[in-house]
Amino acid sequence: MPTLNAARPFTAYLPRKSSPLRFLDWIWHIRGTVPLGAAQSSEDAFGRLDPLFKQPGTTRAQSGDTLTFEKKNQLAQDKLSVFDSGVLQIEQAATGPVLRYHLVSRALLYCFLAPLLFLGVAQLTVALGERAKPTAEEKAKAEAKEKAKKKDALQLNPVDKFLGAPAPEKPDEKKAKNKKKDEEEPPKGFSPKPAYVFAGIFAALYVLGRILEARLIKRLFAKALA
Amino acid sequence: MDGIRVGKRIVGTQSLVTIGWDNIPKVEGGAFKCLFFTWFQPAVLFGLVAFWYYAPNSIAKASTAIWIGIGFRLVLQYLELRFPRHESWAITWKELATDLFYVGVSYTMVNLAENYIGSDVAVDAIQSSFEMDKFAWFTALPLLIQAVLILFIFDFGQYWMHRGMHNWYPLWLPHSVHHYITQLNVHKGAVGNPVELFLIGLGIGGFFDFLPRAFLLSGAIGMSIGAYQHINVRFNSPRWWRFMFNTTEHHSLHHSQDFESTRSNYANTFIIIDRMFGTCIDGEAELLGMEGGRRMTIREQMLYPFTEGWKAYRERASRPRFFDDETSAVPAE
Repeated sequence: MPTLNAARPFTAYLPRKSSPLRFLDWIWHIRGTVPLGAAQSSEDAFGRLDPLFKQPGTTRAQSGDTLTFEKKNQLAQDKLSVFDSGVLQIEQAATGPVLRYHLVSRALLYCFLAPLLFLGVAQLTVALGERAKPTAEEKAKAEAKEKAKKKDALQLNPVDKFLGAPAPEKPDEKKAKNKKKDEEEPPKGFSPKPAYVFAGIFAALYVLGRILEARLIKRLFAKALA
Repeated sequence: MDGIRVGKRIVGTQSLVTIGWDNIPKVEGGAFKCLFFTWFQPAVLFGLVAFWYYAPNSIAKASTAIWIGIGFRLVLQYLELRFPRHESWAITWKELATDLFYVGVSYTMVNLAENYIGSDVAVDAIQSSFEMDKFAWFTALPLLIQAVLILFIFDFGQYWMHRGMHNWYPLWLPHSVHHYITQLNVHKGAVGNPVELFLIGLGIGGFFDFLPRAFLLSGAIGMSIGAYQHINVRFNSPRWWRFMFNTTEHHSLHHSQDFESTRSNYANTFIIIDRMFGTCIDGEAELLGMEGGRRMTIREQMLYPFTEGWKAYRERASRPRFFDDETSAVPAE
């Protein structure tokens, strides 16, 4: 991430035309504009935005029409906590003065990458599960143990019988169910399902965050400048 | 700050805390709202107990428990968004994403590691080397007694593990990062170093044989009590509830910026264990965290126990051994 400096022009923070990141940086960069009042000066606009940058862990610098900021260990209560750095510039557009902003969020980037991490964990779980599958000998031993146990099938306490709780499954029913399960499912403790679910959760969270945070920040700036 | 005397200690000298149930605010609003936030917790608890007690075997299985757990978390998440206890604890997208990352780590990587080094592995090894069976008499007890015992035995061990973490530096290191959270939200219980998530999951339940239904019941009871530990919702918990069980109030005090307050309310489910051992303080706090409320990044949370541990080890290694250090030999009184 480039070090932000108020003395540099706004465009200096955009990726170079030759950089492949130019096509990808929308993943964690949020850009936008907010219209200002016709007579609103940069001083007045930045003055109104000032409270947003007076937060613990925030450093900022202002030079003319440009304000840059950086954040470190920002608090959860910080309204800009999702961003780590950014540039705000007052520009003259055809319709009048506008605040143009370009904000960088590592949280969005990590959230975008998180599904890959969980997919990796799922693959690792599958690989380790293959190794943990019981051998024929271990299976036979476990079955023998189960058979010995079968004699004393689980019984409900008389109190529970009286209160009407369903009786535990008979070992035969359970065995038939487990046999079917054994053929289909990975060994206990090695299911990749949770990792796939979390990969999906983070993919959805990313989409939500990328849309929501862009809207929230626009609304926050517009409200502060009004 | 002067602080408040609670038993033999003085709490609240470093940051504001509220002590005593009479001083804690109540839910304000219409009659329905007050009724809802008074009886929600007991209704969920008794409703789930009845469900798991009577559900037919075809429904009473782990997958149903998982779906109920997800649904319950979604309801709590909605309550948090709609009725926040403190505005300063409001959930944001970044907080939610961060918290869910830890939940994901707990359900995937930590669970995977437990296949090799967890307490169940140790229990299996002990049982097979001593050729001992599980304590089968446990299954003859009434279902609810089995369920409460499973939960209580785990919570009792967890109480001492947690208390140990606050009193012995090597255990404090992995736990310390959990105390850098600056607000309580539904999923904050999972925030911590994976080593701690592993340690807190250790238990001796594997020595006991129990009916599957009792296990599901204990899970439901544990969830419907423990889920409120880290939550940004105010409830008017009934008196008997807050006497028996851990609440948001108790746990917020445990996470307070005031050091002395953090040394209280260690139990996960049954606050009566804290009452038994004199570590319970009834109260609440809004200002949470360590170092005045510094928020740790995920990266720092992952590395901190090791970097701090290494620093402590280096510092200790450079110290003269106590028998070389004649000047420190202070005679006994």
